[in-house]
Amino acid sequence: MSVGFIGAGQLTHALVRGLSAAGVLATHKITASSPDTDLPTVHGLRKLGVNVTTSNKETVSKSDVLFLAVKPHIIPFVLDEIGPEIEERHLIVSCAAGVTISSIEKKLSQYRSEPKVMRCMTNTPVVVREGATVYATGTHAQVEDGRLLEQLMASVGFCTEVEEDLIDAVTGLSGSGPAYAFLAVDALSDGGVKMGLPRRLAVRLAAQALLGAAKMLLDSEQHPGQLKDNVCSPGGATIHALHVMESGGFRSLLINAVEASCIRTRELQFLADQEQISPAAIKKTTLDKVLQQPGVTMSGGVGRAGRISIFTQSNPKSKK
Amino acid sequence: MAYGIAKGILSGDVLPVNVKVSAPSPRNFGRFEELGISVTHFNSDVVSGSDLVFVAVKPHLVPEILREISQLVTQKHIIVSVAAGVTLATLELLLPKDSVILRLMPNLPCLLLEGALLFSRGSSAKPEDAALLSSLLQHCGLVEEGPEAWIDVHTGLSGSGVAFVYLFAEALAEGAVKMGMPSSLAHSIAAQTIVGAGKLLRDTGKHPAQLRSDVCTPGGTTIYGLHALEQGGLRAATMSAVESATERARELGQKSAGAGNSN
Repeated sequence: MSVGFIGAGQLTHALVRGLSAAGVLATHKITASSPDTDLPTVHGLRKLGVNVTTSNKETVSKSDVLFLAVKPHIIPFVLDEIGPEIEERHLIVSCAAGVTISSIEKKLSQYRSEPKVMRCMTNTPVVVREGATVYATGTHAQVEDGRLLEQLMASVGFCTEVEEDLIDAVTGLSGSGPAYAFLAVDALSDGGVKMGLPRRLAVRLAAQALLGAAKMLLDSEQHPGQLKDNVCSPGGATIHALHVMESGGFRSLLINAVEASCIRTRELQFLADQEQISPAAIKKTTLDKVLQQPGVTMSGGVGRAGRISIFTQSNPKSKK
Repeated sequence: MAYGIAKGILSGDVLPVNVKVSAPSPRNFGRFEELGISVTHFNSDVVSGSDLVFVAVKPHLVPEILREISQLVTQKHIIVSVAAGVTLATLELLLPKDSVILRLMPNLPCLLLEGALLFSRGSSAKPEDAALLSSLLQHCGLVEEGPEAWIDVHTGLSGSGVAFVYLFAEALAEGAVKMGMPSSLAHSIAAQTIVGAGKLLRDTGKHPAQLRSDVCTPGGTTIYGLHALEQGGLRAATMSAVESATERARELGQKSAGAGNSN
């Protein structure tokens, strides 16, 4: 069983590192494709022994399980390109935030009658095998496909199946979650530095405190509120600090953050469903290189303020 | 919820032999059997053998359950739905025309017979049916009737309100811990403080503002503490909490009305 990645950016790099460290995949059997071979992640993947190519079609032909690890607005381009190459054995796993299974199935059904599609939301700590992954199964994916994906992703952290409508919330929580933690560690270290600690030590201790707390929580049956209480000796330092945090509305900030990320994910999905992307957004990707590939065209005129239709076969499907 | 209601009913005049419970799984039967209530896996047995039927399943199961029992429901039956967010309109659509239906919203402390229950009558339910339900439930706690529109407010105030009180209790205890009291003692005292204050509020019939003033000696500890609460905007936050929970109850009610009707 071979695994391939469309896209050779952060996500692919993190997944490959994690999966190979877990021993579930041999890197020389992995193919990853990207139009830009100058990316640092591409160098990293090559160092790991991954076969990196500029041809998505090559990745498809050499893989059974195909991860789509490109930015959401690139997905339709990719699907149009690889659609004709998809065969019965292929299991398509999309990691693109906000891209629905039904939109992928709709696209691929133009080429193949029952495409096996799954959708997953993971996060970057897969690179150290402490990822948080959820997946949803598409119409034609079988139970074995779900189990296969779960086995793969469970080797790099926590993995469970969910209903697709929960994936936006997962994105807000554990997809973005590591960023919240990095922010917290950064700020905690600032606090340490302010009170006299050298920076490196402060960062090390802050990160370890978060790591240790998380491990305690995962190992324990107790409510986090109870674990918090256990740390707070009466009149002690910790309870004083917690009061400061409550005064600042720390809890509600975290709630708001998860909500904002979830809502934005939904917005992006809505934009993607509109099937129109502004040229400015596309410029931020390596679309130039994508457009140089055979079979990919652009309507409306380059360089003008016109809209680029991202469905290369003019097929104005009616919106939901 | 069914258990709490059953306990309350048995505290009145109803004998266990006249109460029946159905569920697909025997998981929760034990508690009911301990009360002397007969249990079955067949909803039809409960409906045919009863005059008043509580529908206490999860909201998303209500349509299928009602469709299942609909043919057994006669005009002699009184159907009381305890399902959150399922409107009388939906219930009336799913049951035979002219069925006597009431909608009840209890809350968690029903389990200890200290519940707050609000119910509302469907179009064919008469005052006598309401009186019967009230008398059955009187031992569950405070029982009141109201228009259906108040049920969402009741959910926000008392259904969710219980959680708001727990949050307050946790914060009270943490304040005490900060000031030097061990956590578990602080928590027990916080709980008892709330129970005691609640009882005084309910039983003296005085306005809460009056009771508050009664506790505040001039320049004393309480007024200092209250000032901190006011500065923290606790009142507004609490009102927002009830508002937010009520609005969400309305939203969910509309959503499930759509789902029920589309079947």
